[in-house]
Amino acid sequence: MMVRGTKTISMLLAATLLAATVAGCTRPAADPSPPSGGENGDQEPITLRMSVWGAPDELAAYKVAIDRFEEEFTHITVDLQHIATDYDTKLTTMVAGNDVPDIAMMESGTIAFPLAEEGKFHNLQEFLDEDPNLSIDDLVPNLLYSLEPGHVIGIAPGPESFGLFYNEAMFADAGVEPPPSKASEAWTWDEFVEVAKQMTIDNQGRNAADPGFDPKNIKQYGINFPTWWGGYSNFIYSNGGDFVSADGETFALNQPEAVEVFQNIADLINVHHVSPSPVQSKNIPATNVALQTKKVAMVIDGQWASTSLAQSDFDYNVGVLPVMKDPMTTIVCGMFSMFKSTKYPQESWELIKYLIDPESSIDMITAGTWMPSYKSWYTEPELLARWTENLASRPSGYKDAIVEVLLSNSHQTPTGYVKNFSKIMDVVSPALDKVWLGQQSAQEALDAIADKAQVQVQGRRDIQQ
Amino acid sequence: MKTSQSVQVLGYLALLIVSALFMTPFVWLIRSSLMDLSQIFTMPPEWLPRPFQWGNFKKALTILPFGTYFLNTTIIVMGTLAGTVLTSTIAAFGFSRIQWKGRDLIFGILLSSMMLPAAVTLIPSFLGWQMLGFYDTYYPLIAPAFFGGGMFNIFLLRQFYLTIPRDFDEAAVVDGAGYFTIYFRIILPLSRSAVIVVALFTFLATWNDFMGPLIYLKSDSLFTLALGLQMFQGTYTAQWDLLMAASTAVVLPCVIVFLIGQRYFLEGITLTGLKG
Amino acid sequence: MRKGLFYGLLFTSPAILGFLLFTLGPMIASLVLSLTDYNVFKAQTSFVGLDNYVRLFGGEDELFYRSLGVTFYFVLLRVPAVILISFAVALLLNMNVRGKSIFRTIIYLPSIVPAVASAMIWMWLLNPDLGLVNSALSAVGLPTSNWLYAENSVVPSVVLTTLWGIGGTVIIFLAGLTGIPKQYYEAIDVDGGGWYSKLRHITIPMVTPTIFFNTIMTIIGSFQVFNEAYILTEGGPNNRSLFYVFYLWRTGFRDTEMGYASALAWVLFLIILFFTYLVFRSSKSWVYYEGGGRS
Repeated sequence: MMVRGTKTISMLLAATLLAATVAGCTRPAADPSPPSGGENGDQEPITLRMSVWGAPDELAAYKVAIDRFEEEFTHITVDLQHIATDYDTKLTTMVAGNDVPDIAMMESGTIAFPLAEEGKFHNLQEFLDEDPNLSIDDLVPNLLYSLEPGHVIGIAPGPESFGLFYNEAMFADAGVEPPPSKASEAWTWDEFVEVAKQMTIDNQGRNAADPGFDPKNIKQYGINFPTWWGGYSNFIYSNGGDFVSADGETFALNQPEAVEVFQNIADLINVHHVSPSPVQSKNIPATNVALQTKKVAMVIDGQWASTSLAQSDFDYNVGVLPVMKDPMTTIVCGMFSMFKSTKYPQESWELIKYLIDPESSIDMITAGTWMPSYKSWYTEPELLARWTENLASRPSGYKDAIVEVLLSNSHQTPTGYVKNFSKIMDVVSPALDKVWLGQQSAQEALDAIADKAQVQVQGRRDIQQ
Repeated sequence: MKTSQSVQVLGYLALLIVSALFMTPFVWLIRSSLMDLSQIFTMPPEWLPRPFQWGNFKKALTILPFGTYFLNTTIIVMGTLAGTVLTSTIAAFGFSRIQWKGRDLIFGILLSSMMLPAAVTLIPSFLGWQMLGFYDTYYPLIAPAFFGGGMFNIFLLRQFYLTIPRDFDEAAVVDGAGYFTIYFRIILPLSRSAVIVVALFTFLATWNDFMGPLIYLKSDSLFTLALGLQMFQGTYTAQWDLLMAASTAVVLPCVIVFLIGQRYFLEGITLTGLKG
Repeated sequence: MRKGLFYGLLFTSPAILGFLLFTLGPMIASLVLSLTDYNVFKAQTSFVGLDNYVRLFGGEDELFYRSLGVTFYFVLLRVPAVILISFAVALLLNMNVRGKSIFRTIIYLPSIVPAVASAMIWMWLLNPDLGLVNSALSAVGLPTSNWLYAENSVVPSVVLTTLWGIGGTVIIFLAGLTGIPKQYYEAIDVDGGGWYSKLRHITIPMVTPTIFFNTIMTIIGSFQVFNEAYILTEGGPNNRSLFYVFYLWRTGFRDTEMGYASALAWVLFLIILFFTYLVFRSSKSWVYYEGGGRS
């Protein structure tokens, strides 16, 4: 029952498909045409394409921004492409097919920099320099991603930092002082370990400071510690360490400042028995579950955990992270980038500005998932109140432990400035697995891979090279 | 007789245990779809929602344009199903019931296409379809089904065709029947179980495929249910309650189709005519 | 015989055309790309000859060997487990018992549940300190395990999680079992044989074509295991679940080295081809077709 006509079509298909694949190898540079500049004169209707990822509530926030944008720029329609899953794979095929959007949400840890290195993105610094309404100083620190100093490839719609979340009732029941929220009163590591011990309890009711404590039958853990790079980076920075040296030449995670942190974390698990074994669970709402069910008294997590905590039915709060040397939190965030192939750079820039305006994403901010990008929302009391007061997602410790620290003691995510980051981590993470599992000391494990990691070190993006 | 009865009892017991194990993910999915976020992950797990959050379904199904996605999915599934059942049964016949030179070699070559990881053919395939102007259409999703419907199905059917005694064809040939008659009157009815299996698998695989639609579609209005499901996951957090409700709604038709479909190969035994 | 060739090609033409149209082009493209330094984002692609293959086998790429080893281990554990367990379950489902159709559906259910949802369940079940499985084990005094989170247990644990998805294989076995004519069993009844001799002398020989099919498909599928690493383990701990295709995907898409990834893919292609060929060769001695062999 073959249809005749399809055969001829199919022969054609075969030929073109072959041609296509050959063309795929020798394809010329993808549209290197420079931006035409900001002539805004004609009001011809245009369409901007933008691709994002995100859950439905995040998508709703983008739509609010877009609606406001379209109201002001009536000749512009925004075509929002929601790529919910396998974002990088999809975007890669779009790049291969020369079918990229004007603006894309990008992730610093994956293909943003590889794309930027091939000149696929506009330098947003140029737009920032010329814009009368927005300058870098208006934004909270560490929101920009740069290929090299002065070459901005993306702007984040908001920061995400880390905090020490805890169950208030558990501390009250144990009669233990809960984590402080002010950075000036932050626990030292030893103080932190002591409290974690008191809050770790075996099935006979003894805590981990008790000599009779039975680490084989732990009913409640003191702390759940994130063992991914975002989690431990806070403490490396706090301890004055880094992923690579200041000149970008040398692998630095085997240096004393970093090694001390790794060993400390491993000791929480294997020596003090106050933290459960590490699991790969970035996306699981482990924090609210662990706290609510009293399996764990404290959890270190990104501030985004506030959303699910706010929806859980128990009293939680957030304190400032323990301090190694200086109070510090890492800022992780996505970014909006503008493809060079856009025909409408100026309009795209306007749209980016709308997207990072906290007013547009106020729902996501009050829900707890996001934080505002404008500094004024942290410093001006009435703006600050709009997203930090009388909200389930913002407990009493939030302002001091999260907001204050973010403004004064934050560090950029390593994905933003360490070149070849993911390849370096491909070497480091397996070694750290051995440290978490207690098979090797941090010094041994990191020294063992230092040479291999060094091979992958290619410098830093935040210094002129 | 006694041993076979005790075997039956033991077997039944084993069946119950295995079923209980295999039920867990589905039951977990259903009960999660009716819970609020905090109850889903409670430890130790709770199996009864309190209270029942029927609102999850309402919310999940209004966030997605469920009707459109359902319709789109149905179009793709129907097209794929028709193409696959038609062409895979024919092709398998050519690979098993007809003798010809080079048959097994060609079969082997076609089969080898399953051995190359799809990750490296994804971009060339995409470029090919795009070049033909079929990006953002259903052609890349449906058309291949009309060209054999995949080697998995052809191979599966071939295996079943090969078990049918040759006398059947020979008798038919004596009666003056050609290959098409043999295919249609003898082989197809006799391998009914296998054809049902192919149809069921094709239905379920197409229904749940999100990678194909993700790569080849661009417009919201063409999206499918499986693709829509993915939208409940975020970067930092996922809306698990809604994700579970939407998953349940998407999966339920599959369960019904499967329940109905598998009945036919229960009947398959009596219909094959091999019984007596 | 000429007539055979004509009809043979005619009947198989949809499949052959489909292969030529949709499959061959991309396959050749990837083969060609494996000889280049293709990077999707780069404007220039240059021919590098066999450099990618030299890099693979030159010992420079440790992860290639690691992922190959891990994947072989996975295949070795999974293929026999899937075949044996699926067959056993199919036999159970083939019994003439009440609620047959419900049971069949239940076995297939995990295969329909979306991957994200079932991955969630596994992480939640197998969490070493907070998970259900370990709590249950320690409650009855059995030793617990770190499951997905320890070097030695991660691959067996992943195999365990994939066993939930055997529904498809079971259904195919079942279709094979329902095709066995009843009078064969009646003959054994007459001879006074029990269930074991039925199994040994009728059931197993009669379903060898299905066993053959399921074995080939399980081999092809297991070598290409991806989702479990992608969703469950991210290759860890210590790369002990760095499955080959996951590594390949990471190289091609995250690290944008598509040329090198294509070389990786073709090496795997040859490996799978080799093992499939072995099974095909061996099949002549153990697969029984009532239709009179494959000739």
